Amino acid sequence: MTVILSLQLAIAGISVGSIYALVALAIVIPFKASGVLNFGQGEIVTLGAYAALILTQLALPYPVVLASVLLVGAVGGIAIERVLIRPIVKAPEFTLVIATFAIGLLIKGVLALRFGDSPAALDGPFGSAPLLIGGLRFNPTAVWIFACTLLVTFSVIAFFRHTRLGKAMRAVSISPEAARLMGIKVETVYRWSWAISTAIGALAGLLVAPLIGINPEIGQLILRGLLAAVIGGFTSIPGALVGGLAVGLIETFSGVIVGSTFKNLVPFLLLMLLLVFRPQGLFGAADIQRV
Amino acid sequence: MNVGARLSGILLVAALAIFGALVGTYPTYLVSLAMINVIAALGLNLLTGNSGQISLCHSSFIAIGAYGATLLTARYGVPFWIAIPLAAAISALVGAALGAPASRLKGIYLALATLGFLQIVQLAIEEFADITGGVRGMKVPRPELVRGVRVTEYAIFLIVLGVCAIAVWTAGNILRSRVGRELNAVRLSPHAAQALGISVARVKLAAFALSAAYAGVAGGLLSIVVGFIDPVEFGISASLRQITFIVVGGLGSVAGSVIGATVLSALPEVLRPVKEYNDIIYTMILLGFLLFVPRGLITIWTGLLRMFPRAPVAAVTEARAK
Repeated sequence: MTVILSLQLAIAGISVGSIYALVALAIVIPFKASGVLNFGQGEIVTLGAYAALILTQLALPYPVVLASVLLVGAVGGIAIERVLIRPIVKAPEFTLVIATFAIGLLIKGVLALRFGDSPAALDGPFGSAPLLIGGLRFNPTAVWIFACTLLVTFSVIAFFRHTRLGKAMRAVSISPEAARLMGIKVETVYRWSWAISTAIGALAGLLVAPLIGINPEIGQLILRGLLAAVIGGFTSIPGALVGGLAVGLIETFSGVIVGSTFKNLVPFLLLMLLLVFRPQGLFGAADIQRV
Repeated sequence: MNVGARLSGILLVAALAIFGALVGTYPTYLVSLAMINVIAALGLNLLTGNSGQISLCHSSFIAIGAYGATLLTARYGVPFWIAIPLAAAISALVGAALGAPASRLKGIYLALATLGFLQIVQLAIEEFADITGGVRGMKVPRPELVRGVRVTEYAIFLIVLGVCAIAVWTAGNILRSRVGRELNAVRLSPHAAQALGISVARVKLAAFALSAAYAGVAGGLLSIVVGFIDPVEFGISASLRQITFIVVGGLGSVAGSVIGATVLSALPEVLRPVKEYNDIIYTMILLGFLLFVPRGLITIWTGLLRMFPRAPVAAVTEARAK
C-alpha cells in the first residue's frame, strides 16, 4: 500500500467516520442524561435526510435547509420524548430498548410508505468536483462533513461545560434525585437532551445524503454509531468523536486488508470483542454492572 | 398442569389434526406457520420473560436451525427427522457459546451484544453465498422419510403439530421445575439468587442454550414447511416480531407465548386488505402494549379470573394439585 493510497483511504475513512461520530454523539447525549439508549436514532438520521430532500426540492437555500432540518430533528425528539418515552422512563430496560427500536421502525415504516424504496439523490452544498491538495483528492462534501462534526462535537463539549442547561444535564446524569432536590427540573433536562440528540441525528442525515443517497435503509448507520459509542465508552463526548473516526478508518482499511468478504463482519466482531473484554470502552468511564 | 388444562390441550391437538385433514393446503400452511411461531416464542419467552435477558438475535438462532437442517439434508443426505434435531442441537451449542460471554452483560450491553451477533449471522449467510445461497436464498429439498420416500404435506402438518404440542408441554414443565424457578429467581433478583446458591451465570447460559434450541427446532420446521429460506427472513425485524409475540401475549408465561404468537400470526391474514400498512400496524401494536398493557393479553385472562373468584376450597385443592 503506497503512502498516497493510505492517505486517500484515511480521508475516506475520516469522512464516513465523521457521520458515525455524529450518530454516536446523538446516542450518547440522552444516554448520559437519562440512561435511555435510543435504538431508533438511525431512523432520525433517515428522517433528517428526507426532510433535507423535501426542503431542497422547494428550492430553499442551503442555510435555510440546514436550520430547518435541525428544527425538524429537535421537534421530533421533543415529541418522541414527551409522548412515548416519558411514560416508560422508569420501566425495565427491556421495555425501553424495545420501545425505542419500535419508534425507529415506525418512522422507517411511514417513510417507506410515503417515499417508497426507490433511492433519491441530494447534492452537497459545494458540488462534487474534488479539491486537489498536495496530490490528494478531497471530496468537498467530505470536508464539509468533517468540519460540521468537529464544530458540533466542540459545541456540545462547551455546552456541557459552560451553560446552565449543560451543567444541569451533567448533574441529572450523576443523580436525578439530588439534581431535583437542587431545583433542577429533571423533565426539562430529559426533553432538551432528546431535542439536542435528535437535532444532531437529523443533521447527520442531511450531511450523509450526498455521500450515500437517500433511502429508507439509511438508519442502518446506527450499528456503526453504536460501535463508535461503545469504543468511546458510551458516556464520553470526545470518546464518541474518536470512536466514530476509528470505526470509519477500521472499515475503510479492513476492506483493503482482509478483503471485501470479511470487511462488513469486522465492525461487528469488534463490537462483540469490546463488549466481552472491555465494555467500558477504550475511554473507560462508564460503570458497567456485571452480574 | 391440572387435569382440565391437560384435557383441553389434548382436545385442541386432536381438533387441529382433524382440521388439517379437512381443509386445503393454504389453511394448513398458515396454521403450521403459527405453530412454528409459537415454538420460537416459547424459547424467547424462557430467555427474556423468565430469565430477564434481552435478546435481539432470536431470529439468528431460527436461521441457524433453518440453514443447519437444510444444509444437512441437501449436502449430506441426512433425512429431515435427524437433520432438524441435529440443527437444533447446533443452535443450542451456539446459544451456549454466545450465552457464556453474554451472561456477564445486562441491559443495553446485552442488547448490543445480541444485535452484533444478529448482524454477524446475517452477514455470514449473505457473504458465504457458495454454501448458503447468499441473498438469493436456498431451496429446501422435499423432506423424505428415507431416500426416495417423500412425506405428504399433511404428514408435515402433523409433525409440526406434534412438535408444537411437545414444545408447549416441555416449556410448562420447565417452568414448574427447579430450572424454571431458578430462571425466575435470576430475573427477579440476581443477587438474592446467588445468595441462595443458584449459579446465576450457569442459569443465564442455560437460558440462552434452551431458547436457542427452541429457535433451532422452529427454524428447522420452518425450512421444510416453507421450502425456501433466505437471509431477509432472519433479520432484526424478524427478531422484533418474536419479541412482539411475547410482549403481546405476556412475558414469562407459556400461555402468553401461545396466545401472542397465535393472535399475531393471524394478523397478516386479517390485515390483507391494508397490506402496505402491515409493518406500521405491527409496530404500533408493540408500542401500544409496551405503554398500556405491559403484561400482555394474559392479564385479561387473570383479570377475568379475579372478577369471578373461586370458592376458597376449590382454589386450595387446585393449589395442592399443582
